[in-house]
This record gives sequence, structure tokens and C-alpha cells, in this order.
Amino acid sequence: MARFRLTVDTGGTFSDFVYVNEATGAISVAKVPSTPDDPSRAILAGVELLIEQGVAPADIAYVCHGTTVGTNALLEGKGVRTGLIVTKGFRGIYEVAEQSRPHGPTIFDIGYTRPTMLAPPSRTGEAEERVAFDGEVLTPLNEVALRRTIRDLAAQDMKSIAVCYLFSFLAPQHERRTREIIAEEAPDVEVSLSSDIVPLIREYYRLSTTVINAYLQPILARYIDNLDARLKNAGVTTPQKYIMQSNGGMSTFAETAKKAVATVLSGPAGGIVASVRAAQTSGFPNLITFDMGGTSCDVALIKDGAATISNRGKVEGRDVALPMIDINTVSAGGGTLAGVDRFGELIVGPQSAGAQPGPACYGRGGKRPTITDCNLVLGYLSPDNFLGGKMTLDTSAAHEAVETEIARPLKMETSAAAEGVVRIINVKMEEAIKAISTMRGHDLRDFMLLAFGGAGPLHACRMAAELGMKGVLVPLHPGVYSAMGLVMSDVKHDYLRSKLTAISKASEAEVNAAFAELEKQARADLAREDFADKSIRIEYALDMRYAGQGYEMTIPCAVPLAPGDLKKLRANFDEEHCKSFGHTAPDEPVEIVSWRLRGVGLVPPVQLPVYAPTGAPLEKAVRATRKARFDGVDIECPVYQREGLDVGVSFTGPALIDQLDCTTVMPPGFCARVDTHKNLVITMGAA
Amino acid sequence: MDARAPETIDAVELEIIKASLDGIVQEMQNSLFRTGYSTIVRESQDASCALLDARGDVIAQHVVLPLHIGSFPACCAAVLRAYDDIEEGDAYLINHPYEGGSPHAPDMCVLTPAFYKGALVGFCASIAHKGDIGGPVPGSCSGQAKETFNEGLHLPAVRYQRALKGMNEIDRIIAANSRTPELVLGDIRGQLGCARLGEQRLRELLDKVGAPVALASFERLMTLAERRMRAAISEWRDGRYEAERFVDDDGVRLNHPVRIHLVVEKHGDNISFDFSGSDDQAVGPANIRPPLVRAAIAYCLIALVDPHIFINSGLMRAFDVITREGSIMNPRFPAPVNTYNPTVHATVEAVFAALADIAPGKARADSCGSRSIIIGGRGGRAGQGYVQYEILGGGGGARAGQDGASGTSVNQSNAKIAPVEIIESEFPTRLLRFELIQDSGGAGATRGGLGIRREYLNLDDARFSIRSTKHVIAPNGAAGGGKGRTGDIIVNPDREGEKRLPTRYADYPLKKGDGFRLDTPGGGGLGDAFARDPALVEQDVNEGYVSVEAAARDYGVALNSVGRGFRVDLEATAKLRAARA
Repeated sequence: MARFRLTVDTGGTFSDFVYVNEATGAISVAKVPSTPDDPSRAILAGVELLIEQGVAPADIAYVCHGTTVGTNALLEGKGVRTGLIVTKGFRGIYEVAEQSRPHGPTIFDIGYTRPTMLAPPSRTGEAEERVAFDGEVLTPLNEVALRRTIRDLAAQDMKSIAVCYLFSFLAPQHERRTREIIAEEAPDVEVSLSSDIVPLIREYYRLSTTVINAYLQPILARYIDNLDARLKNAGVTTPQKYIMQSNGGMSTFAETAKKAVATVLSGPAGGIVASVRAAQTSGFPNLITFDMGGTSCDVALIKDGAATISNRGKVEGRDVALPMIDINTVSAGGGTLAGVDRFGELIVGPQSAGAQPGPACYGRGGKRPTITDCNLVLGYLSPDNFLGGKMTLDTSAAHEAVETEIARPLKMETSAAAEGVVRIINVKMEEAIKAISTMRGHDLRDFMLLAFGGAGPLHACRMAAELGMKGVLVPLHPGVYSAMGLVMSDVKHDYLRSKLTAISKASEAEVNAAFAELEKQARADLAREDFADKSIRIEYALDMRYAGQGYEMTIPCAVPLAPGDLKKLRANFDEEHCKSFGHTAPDEPVEIVSWRLRGVGLVPPVQLPVYAPTGAPLEKAVRATRKARFDGVDIECPVYQREGLDVGVSFTGPALIDQLDCTTVMPPGFCARVDTHKNLVITMGAA
Repeated sequence: MDARAPETIDAVELEIIKASLDGIVQEMQNSLFRTGYSTIVRESQDASCALLDARGDVIAQHVVLPLHIGSFPACCAAVLRAYDDIEEGDAYLINHPYEGGSPHAPDMCVLTPAFYKGALVGFCASIAHKGDIGGPVPGSCSGQAKETFNEGLHLPAVRYQRALKGMNEIDRIIAANSRTPELVLGDIRGQLGCARLGEQRLRELLDKVGAPVALASFERLMTLAERRMRAAISEWRDGRYEAERFVDDDGVRLNHPVRIHLVVEKHGDNISFDFSGSDDQAVGPANIRPPLVRAAIAYCLIALVDPHIFINSGLMRAFDVITREGSIMNPRFPAPVNTYNPTVHATVEAVFAALADIAPGKARADSCGSRSIIIGGRGGRAGQGYVQYEILGGGGGARAGQDGASGTSVNQSNAKIAPVEIIESEFPTRLLRFELIQDSGGAGATRGGLGIRREYLNLDDARFSIRSTKHVIAPNGAAGGGKGRTGDIIVNPDREGEKRLPTRYADYPLKKGDGFRLDTPGGGGLGDAFARDPALVEQDVNEGYVSVEAAARDYGVALNSVGRGFRVDLEATAKLRAARA
């Protein structure tokens, strides 16, 4: 009996599905229109699609879901009514936030306003308590006063309360006692403790993360409950039901319901996980992922088969101090607008035509040229193969928009104008890639550019060449790549602990003891989720800094440390620092700031199909020819149908490769071959 | 090196170069922040980076601190004056407000020349605030300084590296003068790293597009910036506009406000800012040098014209500035300058006030200014000397249609607040209180933002300095709006030994067990407070931003206590409001 994996990535327009037959490795994909009012309806529709193919619901053994429910509730301000309790006298932590405004134009913007507070002062209570920097209790928790505060908050119809006390990352007892008291005084109110959610030093970031969790947690819990019930009704009873988190790992439905804030970047994480797998199976361990859609472009770095994780980030201006895949986003997508201002400057982005009116070629009333229009003018896109032929593009509208808005004012030829716009947007995306690669000491010559999303493969070859990269990889299903990633992730839980410790005064035993405590917790949590010991991997790392420096670097380590290992770690830190920043200070004291431990529950890997050549000749894959513009010259190019390209075939550019939901552009001088995973591997130069 | 004629650069090429320049300065900036050694660079981010051309004009700057746009060219000019043997692999330091353009001595500029095929094509530079560069007080900024000689170690333009090799002597001189040598030298190392990165990226850009095209584009981008600015100015109403603002005092002559006076003349696309009517140079450190005056004006013009404009020296060519030598805006050496920020805030607010009628819709009441407190001692957590340096904002001025922001940095300053947990872990200090101050925002149709209260307990003997503003002269309201609450600094508040310190004060000896309370000013209000929507006043009261008493007194809104909160009493409110009318 075949077991199936089903994954779904919910997007704004479509919910993308991937189905894997675990026995045969056969993969199929589907797109179902999303149902934003209740995303689980679209998910059920996707489940039905599989059942209609004769699969018994009980055979669906694994479900993983990338969700934007939490993210959207945050963006739209639709979380629950949330209260906050802080150390007495310290309301200012949340109200002042970082105090500064974001860099760049905002500093000049008189009208800039911070994101609204998720728990305003009227819903903020204070607790009489205080812990010192070394964990010593200076003021014990005044429980009598706290009960009054909690009753007061509860009377204001609070659904959720965040608790963040100073130095609770060192001494969580006051926060924990507060949770007990809330349970007694207001049993229906959900509680998020900062010492649970993110036990790290720097109170504002911890508080902000905790408040976001409190704000979203009941929403996500309800959504997951509902989804779970629907799946069970449909007969999908497997306990292996997961949600993708911002850190690129999955978490069970039950665990996710407790830590909603860990899902705020669930959406793009799937694509990165798929890319990590590609890095491990394609023979190219170093990749830059390049996901270009309608309005924005996400890039991330994968080195030696692992994605870069950052320990803190902003989501819509709000601070989240949890590990998340380090994704750099720029406003550059198919809908990005181009135009000439009154000073004769050609301005490309950051404004976007959005879904309405969209690019001029969509024929929905848009008159201003976008990147998609330029790609159409250049012959890169096929007017009749957009979205697999579901939508026809209006070439003359695109042409007119580019001509009127750009070519004429600049006294250029229309195609030259379109080519110029594409070059400019490419440079902006290239800068985003440099920011996460060369800037951190990586050499792009060792990297392939992995292109996906609707528009990524259109731009990838030129960008890779400009960046001096090795080449381009276009996966078999670039349009549902995030959902592909959900098929192949592991369960990952992060555990943290902060304590400023001079490395010269620390002992290996002390560091081991701190890790042992975290590990115990991790193993217990994973065991509860049915992971046997042999399916558990523990990863250890220390956040270290030069004493007094405001920024830490995460240095992986092997635990238990043996005598002398701290010296080695310190040397590793110096080396990493030098690699990333070009300088180092081996004589300066180094501190450990935080302990990081990741518990990984290994999910049996799905075997990605390896295809054998069928012997289909290359010519059979040619479905047409199309005139496309490269460096000022129109060239009649073969148009290949991606699905018709056999394993092992190779061909040279110029060429266009059309498939269901995207087109790959290969300028002259590039050479492509199809590998055994049916990835398109494109390199510069001859075959 | 030959450049093409700037007007022959095609639009595509130009945008590509512009996007690349953006990327380079961003990359330099990220590198500096991430590697910044001290709390100031890393946590407060008091630093910025720029690319300059071979003449020393700013080609591109990632804006962190707007004032530095005036400082970079002045620092670079000093290097060009002092050296005629600049070579690839050199690096230069300068922190001299008179020789160069540093606002004050702690702002150390690191410059490296960028060479391409043997020719000088530009400079990569950064300016970063140093925790302590010597002088009589920790932090080097004495509110009582009467000469720059009281303001720490000054380096004129000096060569710091040759052929990528360090001049050990200069490190040793700095180390011998600073109370925190390892932090200062660590930050300089970070600055140097970021400049070298900039050089490399600039070379790559020139490789890609060709040096003649690149150099011509740099010039073209400056011309475009000037034209954009002038085009906006030409749309404003011609005329003569006047404004003045006052700074509490200069730190030495107390109870003597310092006057900033401005006449703006605007004709067509020309605009001039004449500060000749400002006070004579101050005895105390309230003076500012002309590069800062220009930068303050540029800050306001960018805010009024287009916050998204590409920032370079071209913007500075779009206006004229007149400062009188020997005045507070153009002091003679060696007048002290260390506490420049209060004067710059006053300058910015005078410019906004003068232009308020010209650029409608961008009206704004005055804000809190900025301040720093410095606590220095010898018994840090690790047993070494330490300087705890914090920069604090307060209430922003009310804006058209929008209340002012509370607890924020304002105008040209943009420091992050230092985390309580970091401060207490590194220094022998405990915070007792960190909150916003009720009723500190000026009343108005839109309300001023609230100031911050921070209360500290000293756990060890230490020396305390403050450089603040608006403790005496409150932030102005605009268009009939009320003033913001003044700031205050009190040692040992509400107990024996209570003592109010002046707005700027250096080197107050704090004993172990002493405490102090810092209140920062609120922002001014905008428009008639009696015209403010009572529902908004009700909300302010319920959020604790405005007291019930102030609601009645300042807004004419009567509130009744209902349950846990307050509701507007419409009838009583109508009476209150009618009584005034």
C-alpha cells in the first residue's frame, strides 16, 4: 500500500500542492485558488484532488503546510485583544521600542509613524518584581498586587497576555509564577512568557517577540484546530501533521499552536528548504536562491548545503528575535513600474503596479510599463503561454507603454528601452545578492543561482553572468517550489539561553552543563512528538562577541567540549569574524552571550525521483521559434517545452524554455543540460 | 583620470551606476555596524559611511546621520590640503572640527583614497562617534569647556596607514589619551575595514562600466540632485522669511539663552539662508561649525522636497548659506564646539519654522532635541575603566494631521536607545524607571509626543556628564499649539541631597548609592487644542498620555470616570470650550 505525502503552501492567489508517492517517488503538483477568509477550505480542496485520484485518506501519511495566517493577521492588525505585564516602572521598553527611526529616507520623513502597539498602555499592567543582571532577586514578586493587576486586565476582555520582566532570561521564576497566577485568576486567557518564547538578553526585542506571539497565538491555534478537524473529517488521521516555521524547520500542529510567532516567515521558508535539498542533491552545494514574483524578490544564501540563519529580523517594522532564514527582500518583481521623470532620469521601482491594474500587457487598464511588459517586448515571454496558456498577454499594449513612457522621452528605440529597464532591475537584484554574499566574505564564483518563482528564471542567466557566478539552476517545478520544500523538511525546535560570560573565565564544564540543560528539554520535547533517539539530532552553537561589542556571531560547536575546546572556539570566532568583516582582534577579550541549541527531529527523507533518459530527441521538445532581443540584436530562438526536455539533453543559447508557469531565458553564450532530477543546469560557455 | 562629458551618459547606464553606488554605501554601512566595537557604534549606531570623488564631494551616502553629509567633504578637504603624496593603500584619520568637519572631537573620520589604474578616483570614508577621546571628562564632551583644548585629543588630517600598513605611533597616541583605548581602536579598525571594502567595490564598478563613464556619472548624479532640489524650490513662493530659536544656555554662561536667527530669501530657484543675526560665538561649547549649518539646512530641504532623493553633495549646491565669522554658527578657533546638537536642533527648527509658510502641509511643531548622558568610572564589570554613554530622544513635534511620536529620536539625530539589560550587565548602574511622561506632549489639534523618564541608581562612585537641551526653553508649539514640557535632570530626586543640574553639565561626582532622574522634553502641539476631537482626548486619557486635569485645562474636554476608564462628558465639554471662546 502506497503512502503519500501531501504539502500545501498557501499564497495570496493560489494554494500550491505537491503530492509524493513515497513508494514510487512519483511527484505531482497542483494549484488551487486560495480562500483567504478560511485558507483551510482550499487545503481541503487540494486533499480532495488527491483522494479523487483513488488515494485512500488513511494513506496520506504526512501533511506539511506553509501558512501565512499568522503573518496576515499581523499585517492586517487582526490578532486578538492582547495585554502585557512588565516589570514595575518599565512601560517605556515597549513604548520607546528602539527609539530610532529606520535608516535611509525615513530619517527625513516628517510623517513617519511607528507600527501601532499590539498591547497599548491601557492594557499594560506592571508587576512589582526585579531581578539584577546576575540573576539575583532584588524585589520578590508581589503576588497580591499582581492578582489585582491580572483581574483588572481580565476584566477588559483580554484574550491573551504577554509577560516580559527584566532579566527573566536568567531568572524565569517570576514570569513562571505569573503564568500560574493568571491560570488561577483568568483561566481562559492565553499566556506568552518572554522566558519561554525567546530567553535572550536585550529586553525590547524579547518583549516585542513575546507580544507578537501573544497577539497571534490564539488565532493560529484556532486555525490549526479547525484545519486539523477538517483533515480528520476527511479521513486524514496521520499524526504527522506539520507547519513550516521561519527557521526552515517544521513543527507539529500542537507545538506551532503554542509558538505562533515562529511562523511569521513560514511562507518563503519552504522554497529555501527545497533549495537546501537541491544543494545536497544537484552536485552544487553552494547556491544563491532567487525567488522573483510579482512585487518582490527574495534572495538567500546556501553554503555547503545549509541555509544562513539570522537570529533577529523585522516583520513589517516589528522586531522578531527568533531564528529565521536570512532572506533579503527587494522591491523588484514582474509588476515593478518603470518610467522617466521630468529630469530625464529613468526610474525603475520601487513602485509596483500590483495585481490591479497590473502590467499594461494584462489588459486590465494598466498604462505604465512594468518589468513584465519589458520582458514581453523583448520576446522573452510568450503572449500565449502565460500561466500555461490560461492568460493571453497583450504585446501591443506592452509595446505602447514602453514606447510612450520610456523610449520616446529618452529618444531611444523601444526594444533598447525595454532592455535598459531589465538591466537596471537586474542590477538592483544583483546588489541584493551581493549584500548577502560578497559582503559576508563569500566568493560568488563558487555559487550557482537557483531561480524560481514566476519571474526568477527570466532574469537569472544575465544576473549570474554579471555576478560572475558559476551558472544557473532552474528546478523542475519552479512555480510551486515552496510546496516542494515542505515535502523534505525536518522538525526543528530552537532552544536559547543568555548569560554574558567572559570566555577566559568560563570552563568547558560550565558550557557543557548549560547545553546539557537545554538538550534535556529538546530531547523531551521531541520524544513527546514520537521521535526515537536515533531520529534526533542536536546542533549546538554559541553566540560570541568581543567584550563590549554590540553584535554577536553564532559559532557552531561540538558538545561536550573537551578541555582546551574553548580556546579553539575563540580562535574559530576570530576567524569567522575576519572572514565576515575583514578584521579581527585576537588580543581582545571575548564573551559568550547566548547558548543556542537546535533539536532536529529527523523525518525519513523522501527519495526525489531520479529520471532515466527516455531517448526523446531534443527536436521534439521544440514547440516554436520566437524572436527575442539580446544586446540590441533580435534573434530568432528555439522555444523548448520544458516538459518535453529529456534527461541528459543539452543545448545552447539563445533559447527560451516555456513551462506551465514560467519561462527560462537563455541568452547567447549559455549552455543548458537536463540533469537526472530534471533540473535545468545552465552554464556559461560551450557544452 | 579622464571623464566623459556628464551629459553624454545614457539613462540606463546612469541608473545602473546609481544602484551600484547605493549598494556600495549600504554594504560599507552594514559592515561598520556589524563590526562596530563599542556600544555606541553597534547599539546606538552613531556612525555613517560615504563615497567621495577625488575632489572630496560626496557621491553617495547611506543616511544614518544626516549631519555627516556636511562633515565628509570638510574632512576630505583637510586631507587634500595636508598631503600631496596620497597613494594607494593609504588611510587617514581626522577628528578636528576646525581643520576638518567633525562636529566634535569624538567623531572620528577614517578616509582611504581609492585608486584605479594608478589614478586617484575618490575616497571611501566613515565617521563614527568614539566613547572617549580624552580630555577632562569621560566621553570628552565637557559642558563647561571654554576652548577646544578642553575637548579631547584632536587629530588634524594624519596619515594612519601607508601601503596598507598601520602607523603604530598614532594608535599609541590615541591609546595614551583615551579612557577606553581598546574600544576606540576597535572602532577605528572597523571603520578601516569598511573603507577598504568600499575601495574594492568601487574598483569593481569601474572595471564593469569603465572609469570615464563612471566618473562622468558621479558628476551627473550631483547635477541631477541639484536640479531636483532647485526645481522644487522654484515652485515655492518667493519672499523673505524670518525665524529665531533659542538654546537654553552655552553651558558656561548659565541663564543666558543663545539665539539662532535666520533670514531666508527665496527668488526663483535660488534660496539663501542668512544666520548673521545669530548671537556672537559662545564661551561654552554651544558653537557649531559651518559644515554643520549646511548639513542642517540640507536635512530640512530634503525633508520638505523629497525624503527619497538620492543623497550627494549636489544637494548642497542648491542653496547659499551666510554665517558671520565670530558668531555661534561660525566661531573662531579655538571656541569650544563639543555640545553641538542642541544648536543644530535649534537651527533645524528655525529652518522649518521659516519655511513653514512656503511648504504647506509639512508644518510641524518643535521637538525634544537630543541629549547624551555619560557616566564614567574605573570599576566596570570587568574591572577596567569604562564610559557608559547613552543618547536619548523624547517627544516629537505634532504634525499636520498626526500626533507627534513619543519616545523617539528626532530631526538629524537617530540613535537607538541602549538596552537596560546591556547597560546593567556592563556597567555598575541600575535603572529604576523607564517610562513616558504624562502630559509632557504639547496640547494642540494634534498633540506633541511624550518625553521619556529614566531613573538611575549608581552602584559605584562615578563621574556624570549630561549634554541636553530644552530644560529651560520649552519646545514651541506651532499654529497655536501648546509648548511641550521641558526636560530636567535631578540628582537624588525626592530625597536628601536633591540637586538640579544645568542643561549641560560636566563631571558631576556621583557617589555609590546616588541616583538621578532624567526627564526628556515632550514635543510641541500643532493647532488649537480646543479644536481637538474630544474622542482623541478621551483616548489619550485612557492610554495615560494626558491626565484628566490637563484634558479639561488644555483641551477643554471634561471626562467622567466610567468603570476602568474615562468617557467624554459632552455637555460639560461644550461648556468648557464655549467658556474660552
